[in-house]
Amino acid sequence: MIYAAAVDENLPFSSSSRVARLRSGDPGALAETVELYQHRLYRYLVRLVRDPAAADDLFQQTWLHVVRQLHRYDAARSFDTWLFAIAHNVAIDALRKRPGERLDDLEFELAGAAPDALSGILAGERTAILAAAMAALPAYYREALTLRFEEGLKLEEIAEVTGVPLSTVKSRVQRGLEAMKRSISRDEIL
Amino acid sequence: MSDHETIRGLLALSASGLLECAEEREVRRHAGECAACAAELQAYAQLTDGIGTLPAPQAPVHLVGQTVVLLALEADRRQGARMASGVAVFGLASAVIVAQALRVLTGDTAAMAWVAWATATSLFGVASAVILKLSRRKYERSAI
Repeated sequence: MIYAAAVDENLPFSSSSRVARLRSGDPGALAETVELYQHRLYRYLVRLVRDPAAADDLFQQTWLHVVRQLHRYDAARSFDTWLFAIAHNVAIDALRKRPGERLDDLEFELAGAAPDALSGILAGERTAILAAAMAALPAYYREALTLRFEEGLKLEEIAEVTGVPLSTVKSRVQRGLEAMKRSISRDEIL
Repeated sequence: MSDHETIRGLLALSASGLLECAEEREVRRHAGECAACAAELQAYAQLTDGIGTLPAPQAPVHLVGQTVVLLALEADRRQGARMASGVAVFGLASAVIVAQALRVLTGDTAAMAWVAWATATSLFGVASAVILKLSRRKYERSAI
């Protein structure tokens, strides 16, 4: 049932009985929830920190925070959004400690432009180029793109997860896509 | 800024499904007339589709198990902390009540002796708790 809730957006995870089970410290409910969100949460963290070993650690830290802050969770809100907001804070804290990590470098710029560059790239090569182009973006842009296109979150939900205004989310999605497109165009030209 | 330039700035957001209805209509209308913008819009659409279908990194098989163990240890720690707090409050209240009772019934000397004994045993209890916590931390590290 919980699995169904995660797959079907119309079935909210955050029903009061489930949240009550989690709050009561029911080990079964916790294990089910961790298992349910494992791949989505892990993917988000890997995209954000680009390091599977660090993502492992942040995954565990996120769930520890979830358990400690569960009393603050409002069951009327989306559990997904709340969970990803906690993961966001944990991951951004970790990224801030990394020397040379670009979170929101507005000066990032990549050369070249060709409107139909993507259409000419073969499928396998295209995936690799896309992944590399995304990994090269500053963290906040990677995050906005993965939340929008991989997690399928709405604009308002991304704003809630990242704690920034809607306009900032839009700007990050737009600039992230533009930078990726330039990067892909340049790679194809080279 | 021309209509073309304005629309061009909205193409990425259009492909992302993040435009208001009126803006989206304008983009679609312009793309119907401008081949360059139509091509760029299509390129952005391919890009967003591509991001959505990137191979997803899978969580390692051990990760869920480790996390569940970690959460169980955390729940156990929290329960232990709650119990310890309750016992500490009860002990303090008992010590104060007994001290007061001794002072009334037998005088200050017995009460002071009681306070000294209670303080000594409390310090012993705190030291034991610290040692238990340190050994528990070591155990938790080895369990994860």
